[in-house]
Amino acid sequence: MTFGKYIRTAREKRFKEDRAYSVRQVAQRVGVEPSYLSKIERDQVAPPSEAAIGRLARELGEDPDLLLAMAGKVSSDVQDIILRRPQLFAELLRQLKDAPDQAIEEVAREIRDGDW
Amino acid sequence: MIELKRNQLIFRFPEVHKAAKCRISFQRTLRIPDDNRAYSLPPGLGRFPLNLVDDYTESVPAGWNAHGGVFLPMYQAEAMWLNFSGSYPMAVKVAAGKINAVTGEVWENELSRRPQDYVVIPDQPWLDGFSVMKGMIRQFVAMPLGEGYTAEEQLTGEAEHGGLQIVVYPIKASYYKRSMEELSFITYSPRIKQAPPREMGLAPGGLMRQEIYEDEYGFGAWETSVRSRCYVHIVNSLQFFGVTGAQPPSLPPTAREYTAAGLPWFDYYGGDLKALAGAEKLAGLDSVAAKKLKKGEGVLADNEAVEPKVVKRLGKGQVREGEF
Repeated sequence: MTFGKYIRTAREKRFKEDRAYSVRQVAQRVGVEPSYLSKIERDQVAPPSEAAIGRLARELGEDPDLLLAMAGKVSSDVQDIILRRPQLFAELLRQLKDAPDQAIEEVAREIRDGDW
Repeated sequence: MIELKRNQLIFRFPEVHKAAKCRISFQRTLRIPDDNRAYSLPPGLGRFPLNLVDDYTESVPAGWNAHGGVFLPMYQAEAMWLNFSGSYPMAVKVAAGKINAVTGEVWENELSRRPQDYVVIPDQPWLDGFSVMKGMIRQFVAMPLGEGYTAEEQLTGEAEHGGLQIVVYPIKASYYKRSMEELSFITYSPRIKQAPPREMGLAPGGLMRQEIYEDEYGFGAWETSVRSRCYVHIVNSLQFFGVTGAQPPSLPPTAREYTAAGLPWFDYYGGDLKALAGAEKLAGLDSVAAKKLKKGEGVLADNEAVEPKVVKRLGKGQVREGEF
């Protein structure tokens, strides 16, 4: 499913129960023009900025990382993490690409104790 | 060695025994009314997300990097409880702002026999607050450091530490082998870059019926040559995004909303275990609602008394979980 179609489906699902989820009202709360949101929903324009996607996710109760991925983007905090150690993380992700979800969730991190 | 896995702290002592392992998580819950009535145990509404300080060295408050450990987001006046699980006996000291939650004394790494300043896993499944009298605690409620509400500020006059501090000691392997036949495996299931992040501390909230159990193993049972410590920092949920780029959990329901929905509260029956007396120092603290009035800041919001209609009685190993 495309980004636009996904957004439209999520918004229309909410609109059935609450009229406050019209294109106009959602656009107003997210801070974009209704005509722009309408074009996003019809995939007539590229997905919006990371910040706008984040606001859309909050408005529609969707996962921002999922929406960013559908928009072909990676959140800036994840980019920062990768850019700090690009080779290490690229290799790690390649190794984990076929690992089952459970194995990835099982990854544990050691906690450092400092001075206190 | 402590690990972070699925928002739980996992303490292991392989040098003592291969089974020496316990888990501690921090449960979201509703804030019980702070009106000096004694309430049953509120539900668990899922774990708070835990993040490593080392992953956010540039965005966390400066002092946190020296402490290490983890951090979690809490809204002002939100409550929490600690969930302990594991079958290998452990002595666990818990402090809020370096004030021991069982005795009210200032933090020491070592265990104290008299007064007992620790809880024992697996006998103690949960800890919901500061032990203020026998069979009664005051709920852990997050408040901003520096406004005089936290136990730390009320007892020391300083707003220096905040957060939670935990140290765990395993039982000696010889005691574990001796008591293995008596023990059954028990797992307690759970019941925008902006201003610098505000650190939070824990203040005493409403009264709740909960016993802190006496150490049944005896002080000599604990392997005091090893220990693991963890500093759990608390950041205001409104600033969590600015630190991590991730959204904090939504606000929990109020006690009134939860109760009106007919959802259960809980009582715990610990069998023959003896309860410790509460700490006088902690009993003398002002609760959040009382402090607010004293400071001339009006009444605490969402603090109406409730009459729980459904109270489930739980025993060892039973789940304390909300359905909201």
